[in-house]
Amino acid sequence: MDNFDWSIPALGGDDENAIQVPRPAPRDDAPVPMQEDFLPIADEEETAFQQLIRHWMNERHAPDILPGQELLLGRLLDHIGKQTNDVRLLREDPDSSEDEHFRIMLVQTEVERVKFVIRSYIRTRLHKVEKYARHIMKTPELHQRLSKGEMEHVHRYALIVESHFSNAVLRGLPEEQQSLDENMAFMPPMVPAPDKTIAVFAFARTACPPVHLPDGTTLEMTKGQIVLTPYHIVEHLLLREDVKLV
Amino acid sequence: MALPVSLRTSVIPQELELVACEQLVEIVPLVAMERTAFISGAYGPLRPPSKCKVPIWMAANLKMKKKCHIVPPEWLNVEYLQDRLTRETTEPQFSEMPFRFAEIAKVLLDVASDDFQNSDRLRSLLKDIREARQAKSREGLSKLDHSDLNLPNLCAIEINEIRPFFVRAMGVLTQLTKDPAGQQMTY
Repeated sequence: MDNFDWSIPALGGDDENAIQVPRPAPRDDAPVPMQEDFLPIADEEETAFQQLIRHWMNERHAPDILPGQELLLGRLLDHIGKQTNDVRLLREDPDSSEDEHFRIMLVQTEVERVKFVIRSYIRTRLHKVEKYARHIMKTPELHQRLSKGEMEHVHRYALIVESHFSNAVLRGLPEEQQSLDENMAFMPPMVPAPDKTIAVFAFARTACPPVHLPDGTTLEMTKGQIVLTPYHIVEHLLLREDVKLV
Repeated sequence: MALPVSLRTSVIPQELELVACEQLVEIVPLVAMERTAFISGAYGPLRPPSKCKVPIWMAANLKMKKKCHIVPPEWLNVEYLQDRLTRETTEPQFSEMPFRFAEIAKVLLDVASDDFQNSDRLRSLLKDIREARQAKSREGLSKLDHSDLNLPNLCAIEINEIRPFFVRAMGVLTQLTKDPAGQQMTY
């Protein structure tokens, strides 16, 4: 068997079956065609971390909050925990060689890279959750896109903001002007909602079904095509993971 | 705040660099290492002097410690780039380049310029290609309307460069054409 895992048997840390993260087949024996450089799509081969990077980029570019990737995050966090634990065991072992230290350093570097992306992903979502807290509260369809923690935060945040507005200003106004969600003609809405007409750069991960464009024509994206178009046009393709935002 | 203001409108080049550094590159290791499990897969074993594929971040890390040589990707050499530059300046469309070529070229040339023959020439070719392509992106702006703009062969960093202006321009066009039948203003 390959020495595939970190743990050295003497430490009893033999848990190489603990986390089943799909790993790409060893790539060094398959010739990599030039084509792969041009179309870095490789759906079959996308590792958990690459999936997270894709969702992170989508979240950063999309105006709306996207479905949370809790399973994926859980898998990666488990993996980080395992790698960190292995590193700790090796560190404590006085017999570990210079060579081991060097591997430890590489593994830690990677753990930090993954942590960075996870943090940035969660912060991006948190930003949207706070920005659109009252909109999310009023839109039940969005609730299933949020994790339990995010949903609790939305509740508390919306409550705090409303009570602050009320205590600071609204209580001093006549009663008919105290509402926080009236829709006045010719005024922007009082509950901020994501602007889905904003343009995004969509990259087709596969051949996409045709979509209708605002000018009346249809657009059928082929794999690898990049299009700048309003977000609502490609929204359902993004949710189906047919496109990614770049 | 949850997300710093500077990161809200777009991603920054350093983040694109981080994404690009997940791609694989060939190295010639100078130290031995057993096959090791990483989060993004298992890499190794490193057995000098046989070549091995590792992610770019790892290659850069090893290179800075003088523990490997980096084998330049097929597209990062003078002949290939010269050919692309010729096409870029003679043909109207963008020529095909790897999607993250600019980031990868920067990282590799920064840490491993001694592994490339003629790295100065490579740098100047990359710069020329970049400028030729930038001129084309600016021309592309004239084709912008409110519904879609096709951008074949545009690369990650170029998209990021034109993003703020193109997105805003399209937003203005969308507002101008919103419900032309229903809400026509009379002046």
